[in-house]
Amino acid sequence: MSATAWAWLVLLFPLLGSIVIGLGYRALPAKLAGIIGTVAIGLAFACGVAALISLLGDEPEARHHASSLWDYASVAGLDIKLGIFVDPLSIFMVLVVSGVSTLIHLYSYGYMQSDEGYHRFFSYLNFFVFSMLLLVLAGNFVLLIVGWAFVGFASYALISFWYRRETATRAGMKAFVINVVGDIGLVLAAFLIFRELGTFDYGAVFERAPETFTTNEWSVTAICLLLLVGAFAKSAQLPLHTWLPDAMEGPTPVSSLIHAATMVTAGVYLIARTHVLFELAPTAADIAAFVGLATLLVAATMALVMTDLKRAIAYSTMSQIGYMIMGVSIGAYSAGMFHLMTHAFFKALLFMAAGSIIAAMANDQNIDRMSGFGKAMRFTSITFVCGALALAAFPGTSGFFSKDEILAFAEARGGMYLIFTVLGYVGALMTAVYSFRLVFRVLPGKPCKEAQELIDTGHVAHEAPKNPATGEPEDTDVGFPGAVHHVAEGSAPMRVAMGVLAFGAIFAGLIQIPGVDDVVTKFLDPVWEGSPLAAIEPSLGQDYVGLGIGGLIALLGIGIAYLLYVARPELPGRLEARLRPLHTLFANKWYFDEAIDFLVVRPALAIGRFANRVFERFVVDGLVSGTEGTVRGAGGVVRAVQNGFVRSYALLLIAGFAGLALYFLLSSS
Amino acid sequence: MSSAILWAPLAFGLVGLFLPKRAVGWWAVLGTVVTLGLAIAVAIGFDGNSSALQYAVDEPWISGLGVDYSLGVDGLNLFLILLTTVLWTGGVAFAAFREQERAKTFYFLMLVAETATLGSFLAQDLLLFVLFFDLMLVPFYFLFGAWGHDRSAEGGLTASAATLKMIVYTLIGSLLMLVAAIATAVLAADGGHLTFSIASLNEHGLTQGSQRWIFWFFAAAFLVKMPAFLLHGWMPDAYRAAPLPALVVFSGVLAKVGAYGFLRVVLPLFPDATVEFQEVILIIALASILYGSVMAFTQTNVRLIAGYSSVAQLGFITAGIFALSADGADGAVLQMVNHGLVVAPLFVIVAILLERTGSEDIREMGGMALRAPVLAALFLIVALATLAMPGSANFVGEFYILNGLFEAKIVFAFIAISGVAMSAYYALRLYQQTMHNRKPEGLLSREIGLRDGLVLVPLVLCILGLALYPQLVLERTAPSVDKSVSRVRDGETPSARLASMSKQELKEILTPAPGNTP
Amino acid sequence: MNFHEPHIDYAGISPVIALTVGLCVVLLSAVFKPLRRSAPLLTMLTLGVTAGLLIWQWDDPKTLITGALRLDDLAISISLIAILTAAFCVVLSIRERATEEAGSGEYHALLLGSVLGMVLLAQATNLVSFFVALEMLSIPLYILCATNLRREGSLESGLKYLIVGSIGSATLLYGMAFLYGGTGATNFAGIADGIARNGLDGDPLILIGIAMAAVGLAFKTSIAPFHQWTPDVYQGAPTPITAFMAVATKAAAFAVFLRFFDVALGSQLDSWQPALAALAAISIVVGNVGALGQDSLKRMLGYSGVAQAGYMLGGVVVLSDAGTSSLVFYLAAYAFMNLAAFAVIVGRERETIYGDDIRAVRGLGVERPLLAWPLTISMLALAGLPATAGFIGKLYLIEALVEGDYTWLAVFIAVGTMISLAYYLRVVAAMWMGPEGESVTGATPVIAGASPEADPVDPEASRRWYIVGPALLAAAATVFFGVIPQPLVEFASHAGSTLFG
Repeated sequence: MSATAWAWLVLLFPLLGSIVIGLGYRALPAKLAGIIGTVAIGLAFACGVAALISLLGDEPEARHHASSLWDYASVAGLDIKLGIFVDPLSIFMVLVVSGVSTLIHLYSYGYMQSDEGYHRFFSYLNFFVFSMLLLVLAGNFVLLIVGWAFVGFASYALISFWYRRETATRAGMKAFVINVVGDIGLVLAAFLIFRELGTFDYGAVFERAPETFTTNEWSVTAICLLLLVGAFAKSAQLPLHTWLPDAMEGPTPVSSLIHAATMVTAGVYLIARTHVLFELAPTAADIAAFVGLATLLVAATMALVMTDLKRAIAYSTMSQIGYMIMGVSIGAYSAGMFHLMTHAFFKALLFMAAGSIIAAMANDQNIDRMSGFGKAMRFTSITFVCGALALAAFPGTSGFFSKDEILAFAEARGGMYLIFTVLGYVGALMTAVYSFRLVFRVLPGKPCKEAQELIDTGHVAHEAPKNPATGEPEDTDVGFPGAVHHVAEGSAPMRVAMGVLAFGAIFAGLIQIPGVDDVVTKFLDPVWEGSPLAAIEPSLGQDYVGLGIGGLIALLGIGIAYLLYVARPELPGRLEARLRPLHTLFANKWYFDEAIDFLVVRPALAIGRFANRVFERFVVDGLVSGTEGTVRGAGGVVRAVQNGFVRSYALLLIAGFAGLALYFLLSSS
Repeated sequence: MSSAILWAPLAFGLVGLFLPKRAVGWWAVLGTVVTLGLAIAVAIGFDGNSSALQYAVDEPWISGLGVDYSLGVDGLNLFLILLTTVLWTGGVAFAAFREQERAKTFYFLMLVAETATLGSFLAQDLLLFVLFFDLMLVPFYFLFGAWGHDRSAEGGLTASAATLKMIVYTLIGSLLMLVAAIATAVLAADGGHLTFSIASLNEHGLTQGSQRWIFWFFAAAFLVKMPAFLLHGWMPDAYRAAPLPALVVFSGVLAKVGAYGFLRVVLPLFPDATVEFQEVILIIALASILYGSVMAFTQTNVRLIAGYSSVAQLGFITAGIFALSADGADGAVLQMVNHGLVVAPLFVIVAILLERTGSEDIREMGGMALRAPVLAALFLIVALATLAMPGSANFVGEFYILNGLFEAKIVFAFIAISGVAMSAYYALRLYQQTMHNRKPEGLLSREIGLRDGLVLVPLVLCILGLALYPQLVLERTAPSVDKSVSRVRDGETPSARLASMSKQELKEILTPAPGNTP
Repeated sequence: MNFHEPHIDYAGISPVIALTVGLCVVLLSAVFKPLRRSAPLLTMLTLGVTAGLLIWQWDDPKTLITGALRLDDLAISISLIAILTAAFCVVLSIRERATEEAGSGEYHALLLGSVLGMVLLAQATNLVSFFVALEMLSIPLYILCATNLRREGSLESGLKYLIVGSIGSATLLYGMAFLYGGTGATNFAGIADGIARNGLDGDPLILIGIAMAAVGLAFKTSIAPFHQWTPDVYQGAPTPITAFMAVATKAAAFAVFLRFFDVALGSQLDSWQPALAALAAISIVVGNVGALGQDSLKRMLGYSGVAQAGYMLGGVVVLSDAGTSSLVFYLAAYAFMNLAAFAVIVGRERETIYGDDIRAVRGLGVERPLLAWPLTISMLALAGLPATAGFIGKLYLIEALVEGDYTWLAVFIAVGTMISLAYYLRVVAAMWMGPEGESVTGATPVIAGASPEADPVDPEASRRWYIVGPALLAAAATVFFGVIPQPLVEFASHAGSTLFG
């Protein structure tokens, strides 16, 4: 079977799974639904592997195939087919997505038990995976947009999964609308591409682009900037990032899958996919790189001060994606994609561990109340540490290799791009600090109430959960782990999933050791063939110097964290007091929400009110009531003249005649 | 065949008057189903590659006045006819499942309305078109007025006042249109044999001067019908007064007649004026998009949210037509079908919600998804289609429209697309406020019954089907649409194009296409 | 001295003879007790015979009585319309109090007299016959209006009509004098070439004459601003008579309007065309706005009549076959539309205490569908909605106007129609959308000595065949000619083409 055939199967299974579970929401027993969901994604992964194998069968330069089922909408010169495009890049994404998804489904299988919305959850989750795979496999920009919007919707559905939580529904709406803004960016980009190149098809576009555009021509720059709008909205880059932290309202597996491992990296994939265009528009590429840089720094600062466990990790996600965006924008394509992969492992892992802890805390996510889980949840805390090490780029872990490769590339490209290396290391330092801040705040120390209970009884049971944001009791009909909370300790599937990811987080880097194997680079190279940037290779020297620096910074960061949160616990408080304004700025997320609210939301609502209260009433209705008034007034006049007195009738008759006669005489003379 | 489709509903309606009260509802359903069957038969036998009229009927009707009874089907109206028959089946079935007072008259009027609507789509004679266009109003006047809701208690209008407002508004346009139509024929005949046949009017152009005012008379009629910005004053009151079964078909189909009129009559017959006023109409269309969206997300009455969203949607359709490019118009036709297919189930759902909440205010709804997952799922699909979610046929429609607009007038495209973002907000808001969030006290939330399912599910299946294969519509409409915009393509006046043409091209233009021969 | 008797075309004047004879018979029937009840029958018989004779003369234009009359298809069609209306009036008059009070024989005799006047007027091609016929038409009407003796309104309307009518006639007569003085001819053709021969183009005398004649005719056809008698008289007169006046008078007057202006004064087109167009526009506006918010249905129909006259005048203005035909068509359609409405009003007048007030038709849709439908159809037709003769009529008129370069007047008609919706649909709404429940039929029986305005209530009145029959018939015709207008169109265009024979 050809690679494309396998790819179609990759799409088929998750879709089937979603539909079957959705339709069988009454018939299927809960466990079965979970199994179906997990197996469907597993099969997708298997097919992905099969596609990979058959792809490796071809010559490196022949490793791209397009295939289409039917004309989706092709008239009036627009050629829009239901087609996919298979090449190392898309297969790479397919494997990462379906692989991680399988594990997260496994995790959810345990984690979501005793949640009323079990079927719904797996149906949505499968649908999400389908959309994500569609996004990465799409063969033209229109289908890309479709996948793009589908993942947006799936994320909406899962964020507001507990849909009787006002905070959740609001967060979902926010995420959806901001993502639609992103979609619009893509749509406009597509229009412009069609206008300039006359096609939406990947192959054709990337073929014609170099012939059509001159470097930095306005049109190609515009295209890239519009694409970036989409990429930033999806990948939570400044200033379109505000939905991501709120998205943590969703169940933790969702955060782990969608808002850490897969969907939010779509922007990175998009830039890599359209690198041909970006290389024709260096300005746009640089803008992207700088936005990525800014995001990684700003987000890191926020992560330093967040007291909400999941949000802290969410900001770290933003920051890490900043690295990737930066990487693919400056030309470190393989490195960027590699970081995408490793990040998927360790970030998914971190969320899972956090989820297990939060479950133990009965949905309380405040790290100030957490401590001593090291003893209480040994397995969870081990995996949590693995994740943190990888995130902090501890020497030898996966993050260590992937992150430093990006920075090394920037250095190799030299010139202005050294900024990225330098500030990248600054970010790396903060990363190490905040990741271990979490570790040291949560794991060691005297067990808190929940942790203690866990140690004593071996399981946790809580009264009806409350919404930490508003404090109102949750409506457990629609979901929420009921009395019994599932923590990794108690549930085999969760442990398996976390174990595998922990292994990946630690050792995945070994497949891409500079100068030793470079598996990823070798595999992806055919995609960038002919690209001048991809040709830039950091020398081994640069690589290892970079790794050295990176390792030291990581250790330094961990040391600082240790100093602050273990050795001298009073220090943070003092620092905070010392740097009050800075702290408030970070703690308030740099006031992005307020700014958007002030610039967009309020004006829109004001306009709406005006339209309703003033315009509609006075102009639109005034239009008709005004004419009506005049007509009725005239009617009044006529009736007034009609006073019933013969004399006045006669008078008018004579008057009328006089007028007529007068007219005749005047007209004749 | 065309005649059969046209008169079947009326025939059933008349017979229905003599049936017992209990039977009449189902009889009406049977009537709509038969009509639907005929329409499907036509669609199957339709040759998608030709722009010529098919199933054409052409009999002299009032020979003295040059009015012919001539009908026909082509790419422009094929799917609108299907849409009409589908929605009427749904609407009438929905009504039949419920108790209707004065049932006989009610169903009679419903079926008369279907005939009139089908007539305005089928008519190939300008005057016949105008006639049916006006006739459509009469049954709806009675339906809204006599079966409607009195809003005077809540500071609105009584049903009859609201409908009177609607009638006066819409007839303003259509009476002027009558004058304009006659003028068109008289001027085209120029003392010779008077005919209203659109095909032959196509061949004698009018002078630019007369095109100007005639254009506006027609435009007035169509823009009011949609309704477009500033001419929509009748819509809120009428929509609040209307009985829901009637509103289902009214909002689903009648608005499209206006847009269809532009494609069928205005573009081909008054090309110079069309090009001249392109931007004016585009501005109106944009205003409709923005204003409709803004109103839609500030309203709290479900009917009005749907109503204003239609204003916005029709704005898109108009914009697509007046992009004066093939893809824009293709998108517009597709979008007409789509919008009909989403707004009708939307109102069915609204009706179902009202039965459960007894209120039309979304602030008094919520949390229904739990006990009514099926309803929620169907509603979700409809809502997503309404906001033109990529992957839905509505998206394809808007994509084509905006792409056409993008090529013609890029600035307009950029403004118009902001409507997409707003639609995302108001459509999702409508869904969330009713299905999600906390459930208010005393709100009775239960699953839809099998009977409402029978109405709703097929409509939703239509939406899904089109979402998978919009090409179905596009490829069949494209040839006719192409023909109808051919004269005004790319905002270039015919005169200008003639000047730039080679002899060969001129010959092709001047020899009438097979479809043109009446 | 020898005297050779003039050739008399008896066939040609047979309708007139028939009418005259019938008139006398009916009048005498009143004298003989046994025959008293038979007056309506005899009237119908007369009308039937006359109609037959007229149809027999169809498509055979001839001038009679040395050019005083011209019996062509225009005349015949108009006469037929008048006779049809009269027939309806007779049927509707059954059990009408007016007939009993005035005496059935006299009542019907007067009716026939008026019809005779109309038939003559339709044929008049000579100032003298013109005027005689006009008076012959009017005087019986003055009386008929007042026949409802117990009702003040009736007497008042009769008197008003008489006085104002006389002024109108006087003006007309005066105008004729001018024309005769100018041209020295009395018959229309003579006037035409008289003007040409004596080079009187745009001569003040002639023009004043035209103006006066125009006023006189405008008065009879109730064109604003000479319409003011219309609402009062319509409201006051017994409803069957109102129906007769509303339709027949208009028809006859328009016939002579056509002949007089298009034949006699055709050459003066440029001077009178704009003036008449202006008059048309004025009465469209005045009539329509005047009808708004009228509670008395008859009054409302009076104003609507003014507006409709405005539309029809358009047919005269353009001076063309199309114009004439459209006018004839519209008159025919107008007859059906109005008769349906009046039939219903008659019925409700007799069974409710509200007389012709709009309250009388409230809830009719539920209560008396058989009356509600005719009234509805008639209102929709008057408003020119499709599938009724009213729509085709407007279409016909507008086509004529546009061909005659009077598009602006066509637009006026459109605008007027829009306004008219407000009051026509108000009636429809009252019937179908009125507040549920409370039936107004046979409410509160009138105690002796109650207001003289209130007639005794017959709760069954509007179920009687002589109410429902005419109503349904007229309504059916309205719809029929709206869906299959071809026959009526041919009839009209035929009539139109003969004017300039």
